[in-house]
Amino acid sequence: MSVIGECLVAFIFGSVVGLLVQRSRFCNTAALRDAILFKTFRNTKALLVAMMILTIGFTAFLTMGDGHPMHFDVGLNQVAGLFLFGVGMVLAGACTVSTWVKTGEGNIGALWALLFTFIGMFLFSLLWSYNYWPPAPASMTGEPNLQALQLGYSNAATLQEKYGIPAIVFGIGQTLVLLAIYRAILRKERNLAKLGSE
Amino acid sequence: MEFFRKTLDPVIALAVIAVLDIFMFLLIGAWTVGGGETMMTGLAAQAVLGEDLQRIPFWTLVFKPDPGYWKIYISLGMLFGAFIGAVLSKEFYLRYPRHLSEWVLITIGGLLMGFGIRLAFVCNVSTFFGLTPEMNLGGYLAISGIMAGAWVGSMIYKKILEG
Repeated sequence: MSVIGECLVAFIFGSVVGLLVQRSRFCNTAALRDAILFKTFRNTKALLVAMMILTIGFTAFLTMGDGHPMHFDVGLNQVAGLFLFGVGMVLAGACTVSTWVKTGEGNIGALWALLFTFIGMFLFSLLWSYNYWPPAPASMTGEPNLQALQLGYSNAATLQEKYGIPAIVFGIGQTLVLLAIYRAILRKERNLAKLGSE
Repeated sequence: MEFFRKTLDPVIALAVIAVLDIFMFLLIGAWTVGGGETMMTGLAAQAVLGEDLQRIPFWTLVFKPDPGYWKIYISLGMLFGAFIGAVLSKEFYLRYPRHLSEWVLITIGGLLMGFGIRLAFVCNVSTFFGLTPEMNLGGYLAISGIMAGAWVGSMIYKKILEG
């Protein structure tokens, strides 16, 4: 696909996402924060449903060798980076999606969060240019590199290659785990409703 | 139109987004936001610093500023779609954080999000809507990080709420 075609597809997809998130008030931050603090799961359930559909869809196509999976080595930096991100999103009251969506609704606080997200990224670029960690994608090998705290690259496709079991089988397994979490939430909601009516 | 009068069930909204994300995965790649934001940061820095930006190796070795990077347009699309939704549902109006403490929290939160995304190479969207459904090991590592971070953030938030 041409660069213009890619940008156009991305813009159309983003527009539909923006519209649906705005109309549904979905928030990834709330999906985690509200479950932890208030024991409400409106957004958590939506997140789980999306993850179940995506797991089946992605692993089905990975089984056939189709799709464009993300390809880079992973390691300790994913844990540390998303830990900082998790603290930040709760403090800012918005994640990457809701900063754009709320900005589109005229929320100046969200625009401010977005601006400082960019500044945070620029500050990281300065630090990276000093210590060169985590390794740049060009130097990634896909193999574990414990000195650089990297575990390499693996996903449903590499599992299929390694064990000869179709990726979709692993996908079904993961979907069942997500479904079990979803059902546990429904049970918890029923119990809370029962307690409330007594 | 009913769609712009009532709040949509987020389960329906996210189910539709998930199906569209599968098409994206087949065409160019799964939904992500952090990469596009990083490229925008690079383009903005290039506009301000010009040639001097090349003195920061990150912007030549990891993210070379490129306005044709498709991920930028997902974010711009989200902004556009949300604006249209807000205008048509008469929910668009300027709102500001009321207290200085809110501005401070948003500033710290924004900085942590930006720094964290680049450290991890992923954001929350690529964690939940890309890496983990692909069963990438990075997705599980990222989920463990974001859950712990959200818990710590929630405890800080709770302390602030309790005053």
